[in-house]
Amino acid sequence: MRHPLSPFTYLTRNPSKVLPMGFVIVLCVFLIAAVASIANSIDLTVRTIYRYTEFFTYVIPQRSTQSVPMDQRAILEMQPEIDRIIEGGVFFVNIKTVVGRLPFVVIGSTPEERDYLLKRIGATLIEGRMPEDGKPEVVVSQPILENRNLKLGDVIAGPLDDGGIAGSPVPVKVVGVLKSDIWVAMSSRTFTDKTFLLTPKCLLFTTKVPSDLDVVNERLMPVGRKGDGFLSPEKVNVLTRANLLAEVRDSLSSMYMIMEVVSATVIFVIALMSGMLSNIYFTQRIPEFGVLAALGISRARLMMKIVWETVILTVIAWAIGSVLSVFLLTYLAANVFKQRGLFLDAMDPWAYQHTLPIPVAITIFAMVTVWVRLKRLDAVSVIERR
Amino acid sequence: MLSCNDICLDYVEATRVTHALKGVSLDFSPNKLHGIMGPSGSGKSSLLYILCGLKSPTAGNVALDGTSITNMSDAACARLRSQKFGFVFQQPFLLNYLTALENILVGINPDELSASVQKAESLLSYLGLDGMGDKYPSMLSGGERQRVAVARALIGNPDIVFADEPTAALDKDNGYKVMSALADWAVDHTVIVVTHDADMLKGADVIHHLIGGCLVDDQSSNVR
Repeated sequence: MRHPLSPFTYLTRNPSKVLPMGFVIVLCVFLIAAVASIANSIDLTVRTIYRYTEFFTYVIPQRSTQSVPMDQRAILEMQPEIDRIIEGGVFFVNIKTVVGRLPFVVIGSTPEERDYLLKRIGATLIEGRMPEDGKPEVVVSQPILENRNLKLGDVIAGPLDDGGIAGSPVPVKVVGVLKSDIWVAMSSRTFTDKTFLLTPKCLLFTTKVPSDLDVVNERLMPVGRKGDGFLSPEKVNVLTRANLLAEVRDSLSSMYMIMEVVSATVIFVIALMSGMLSNIYFTQRIPEFGVLAALGISRARLMMKIVWETVILTVIAWAIGSVLSVFLLTYLAANVFKQRGLFLDAMDPWAYQHTLPIPVAITIFAMVTVWVRLKRLDAVSVIERR
Repeated sequence: MLSCNDICLDYVEATRVTHALKGVSLDFSPNKLHGIMGPSGSGKSSLLYILCGLKSPTAGNVALDGTSITNMSDAACARLRSQKFGFVFQQPFLLNYLTALENILVGINPDELSASVQKAESLLSYLGLDGMGDKYPSMLSGGERQRVAVARALIGNPDIVFADEPTAALDKDNGYKVMSALADWAVDHTVIVVTHDADMLKGADVIHHLIGGCLVDDQSSNVR
């Protein structure tokens, strides 16, 4: 038999008092988890779309030149870890993202270089064929097709495309689909060379051991200290995973700060509200505690009873809120956000860390308010209130 | 033995002082049913709460077996009430989300719970509440609820039971049932009952009369 003063006894037999508070906590957890997940999804979105930077690095000439200067190329060639350096023509297609349309690079390469790069990222052709030499055709990985809601044979870039650098003077069709989670689009070098005359040629390089890529990148152009690397930032720019993420995080830092303030405010308000609710419920239970105190139950034991009731309620509500958030965010991620170019991790630990202060704050608020009331509790006045 | 010596209790409201108890001294000999009688406002309930440590007197001292309880800490006093005293109030004050059986066991230490369940059931039976252990207070009559409160007072085998107008909210029949249970308990324990109903104290061993905060007639003879 469970002890009559067990917190579970009270919680299971007083749903009308327990459920409203639990419901508030569940909603609060969902709110914070959703806001934090969405905020963090921008980072994840960038990492997903530009994941090819885990396999090769772009070296892009600065605006004044059409190709990477020879001295800069020579520096690349001197790096022992580098496997291949490929010069590629490029053009851009639009992709949908949470921050609107963004240009995504299409690499123009020879068939041999294309096969090498696709093998490096583990992409295989599952539908259609590879682009023919000189023709306005591309092969793209599945996520790009899904993002643009296109199918084989559709035009992916054309003269009417909106947006800054994206588009093509001639319609470019999708002729092949690659099976890969990595976003990649490839065309023929002949086509890019004859069509995009003013677009600078960039260099791609890979390393013999893929994990060396970060080391080489950092040596060539360190993140945050561009001038300290082997390459000259006046002549070239280097597109690496590390500097891409650094730029994104830097540009989103204000948004993250705002989110922290919003999250802290919401938690404070909810904790305050729950503390007030606890106080109201405690007021309703004063006869109960007065009698228990008169019967000889110490204030410390009564306090522990309330603390455990609050802790159990908030922890269970937090767990339900977290599970509910996972389900709802998984649904939203798959059915709403993905189509809009937003990649959301429904089980992002960072997001759920932000919900942890909720049960803690509520418990502390409830404890403080109830302790003050309990200290002043006069058992005789309760008993004599006839 | 419980005794009090020169107990005074003053209530101060603004500049007005009310003397609720004026130097009451009493000894409560063990194994007796003690009645404290008096009209409303005579200070009998206040005296009872001072005797059990729920209220502090303005002056005077209460001692249990020679040890003063007047200046005990809150925690020590709570422990004393839990281990040595039992209480029956004018209203049963049962917790409405607990069954009758659970209400009886509410003050029991968790490690003594299993051993006390059978005793609680025996008490229910003794008080004429057979089969009512799983009923919630809302399903019981006023008399039944008060008998559950009596069982709650007796479950810890207290040395002294304090009862404040335990029959005031009951009809005569139920009142006698409650008093009969308390009188039985007084055979080998101390029971102190506060009431204004002389009928209910017919079985008392000793009756003390309070009027205007003063002990006017200490009948130490056996009136049972």
